[in-house]
Amino acid sequence: MSTTTTPAAHAARSRPGGHVLEARRLSRSFAGRTVVDDVSFTVEPGRMTGFVGANGAGKTTTMRMLMGVLRVSAGQVLWGGRPITAADRAGFGYMPEERGLYPRQAVLDQLAHLGRLHGMTRRDALAEASRLLERFGLAGRARDRLDSLSLGNQQKVQVAAALLHGPAALVLDEPFSGLDPVAVDAMVELLRECTARGVPVLFSSHQLDLVDRLCDSLVILAGGRVVAAGEVDDLRRAGPRRHRLRCEQDTGWIRGLPGVHVVDVDGPTAVLELADDRDARHRLLEEAVRHGLVEFTEIVPALADVYREVTR
Amino acid sequence: MSPRPPADRPWWIVAAREISVKLRDRSFLLSTAVTVLLVAASIAASALLGDRTAEHVVATAGPEAAPVTARAAQALAEEGDDTLTVHGTGSADAARAAVAAESADAALLLGLDGWTVVGRDGVDPGLARVLERAVADATLAASARAAGTTAAELTAGAEVRTELLTGEPDRGPVRLAMGLVFALLFYLAAIVFGMAIANSVLEEKQNRVVEILAAAVPIRQVLHGKMLGNCLLAFGQIGLYAVVGLVGVNVAGLAGDVGWVLAASGWFLAFFVAGFAAQASVWAVLGSLASRPEDLQTSTGPIMTVLVGALFVGLYAEGAWLTAASFVPVVSSVAMPVRMLGGDVAWWQPVLSLAVTLGTAWVLLRAGERIYQRAVFQGGRSLGWREAARLER
Repeated sequence: MSTTTTPAAHAARSRPGGHVLEARRLSRSFAGRTVVDDVSFTVEPGRMTGFVGANGAGKTTTMRMLMGVLRVSAGQVLWGGRPITAADRAGFGYMPEERGLYPRQAVLDQLAHLGRLHGMTRRDALAEASRLLERFGLAGRARDRLDSLSLGNQQKVQVAAALLHGPAALVLDEPFSGLDPVAVDAMVELLRECTARGVPVLFSSHQLDLVDRLCDSLVILAGGRVVAAGEVDDLRRAGPRRHRLRCEQDTGWIRGLPGVHVVDVDGPTAVLELADDRDARHRLLEEAVRHGLVEFTEIVPALADVYREVTR
Repeated sequence: MSPRPPADRPWWIVAAREISVKLRDRSFLLSTAVTVLLVAASIAASALLGDRTAEHVVATAGPEAAPVTARAAQALAEEGDDTLTVHGTGSADAARAAVAAESADAALLLGLDGWTVVGRDGVDPGLARVLERAVADATLAASARAAGTTAAELTAGAEVRTELLTGEPDRGPVRLAMGLVFALLFYLAAIVFGMAIANSVLEEKQNRVVEILAAAVPIRQVLHGKMLGNCLLAFGQIGLYAVVGLVGVNVAGLAGDVGWVLAASGWFLAFFVAGFAAQASVWAVLGSLASRPEDLQTSTGPIMTVLVGALFVGLYAEGAWLTAASFVPVVSSVAMPVRMLGGDVAWWQPVLSLAVTLGTAWVLLRAGERIYQRAVFQGGRSLGWREAARLER
């Protein structure tokens, strides 16, 4: 163990070189009840991957298996294409679900302790912990007991605990719950720094707007199974492509046009699905121009809509 | 490009945290300070009681003792406030009778083979020392006056034997007191630091810190570190009391009176460590089974019973019961040192008993690890032993 590395040096050394974290056919049952069922997905290096699903969908159980806190009933976890080891996981950053640190210990002390357990020297751990607390605006509370902080501030300390050792991968269970908007921004900035270094980041959340804003990829879980996984843009466009048409006059005329499936007509506005057919689109637009075309746009579904669609 | 190597000796990092947190715990520091004060105060009290000015009365059987008693009286006067009064009798038997009747503290008799100091159930160490030196000086002086003697002859006959009329020195009350001290120290330390282990495990379970720890280091090492940390704390505290006691005894000048206690105390420390280690994993398991601190109040019943048993054995057990208890792990931590206070315990007995305790400690540690590793991740409810052992991790 080196004793002279600066925080910057250890950040450089812990640069992971872009390993993929992969769940391959993970299953877990408790007393005969299957909670996670044949779950496979990858968390790509340098990518922010959102992990969403209803309460009880199996997100936390999956994350605990990824971190080795829980044994797998079947399947395996891979890191960089080979079965993951305890030493690999020791380099990860993890934020458990019902989180908490030591309530009665001073903030800086316990961060230093956790840093040392991750193989940092005490000096490095203290320096890095101070830096992170500074970024969360908690530098003045470093000597205070954790339980004297507000819940939101305790959450920030928890985040610092996960990021302290320059993790090679991040597995964060609901990292944003309980954070105020400013803290969310600080957290996002820190996570972006991690992905910029090539760290794969997996985080679960119920805040779909946040997931929409942050994530490159998405894994959606329902009833212990993966119901959708992939690039956020691909998932959005996975369903039928819909368009909105608005004219000056009533749009009832579009019913019966070949190659057009009408979803909804409401006076001058219509929502329709268009077959992938150049002639059909051409015919539709010609007709629309004759009826005083005002708007013709593709509807990109919100992530919430995608989520509702696949978990229905 | 290589990832950071995992922590070196994580059990030691965990142990160091246990210790540093405890050393900042005000109630722990306060109770330790109070105990140190009590130890010091009790030594000071016994020193004060024992430090009264003594008026020694020495019975003699003839004029040949006069030069010796004169020298001894002079030596006492030079040293302090003690005085020596000569109680002259006609014969050795009369002098012995005077000692037996408590009209003299000791008798100084010249026999065919030299001088003898006769005491009742003990001779005051101060008096014995002065008489011994006085005899040596007087004999040398007398021999030197005789012409043509050798150096060997000069010192011949200058040895003093101590003879006690009632045989054994009376150690009964001290033995009882030391038994009480051993039993109480073990009982208190076991509960204080045992509870500390249980609460520390529970704190990590309740707050899910244990998940972060488990992701970073092998979870068994967290258990080992906790036990080690608290063992060191317990041992350190006992060591502190022992040092305060020893220094106090020396400063107070009581060392001569209690030297024989030290051997038993050394064994007590060894048994203390082994006995504490044996029960430490039980406390850790209790912590991992509980879900709230309140659960510990009920679940600690069985181990408390064992500890109270050890306490009572230390106080009351005699004979065969005590001998049997001195081989029962944990209970032996009190029983064996108490037996050794009484003397005549063959050397192999404490060694065997220690081995039994250490073996038990190892078995309990292995079993404890099994349960701890499973139970500590089961948040939200308290578990039973059997249920926890059957759990999958």
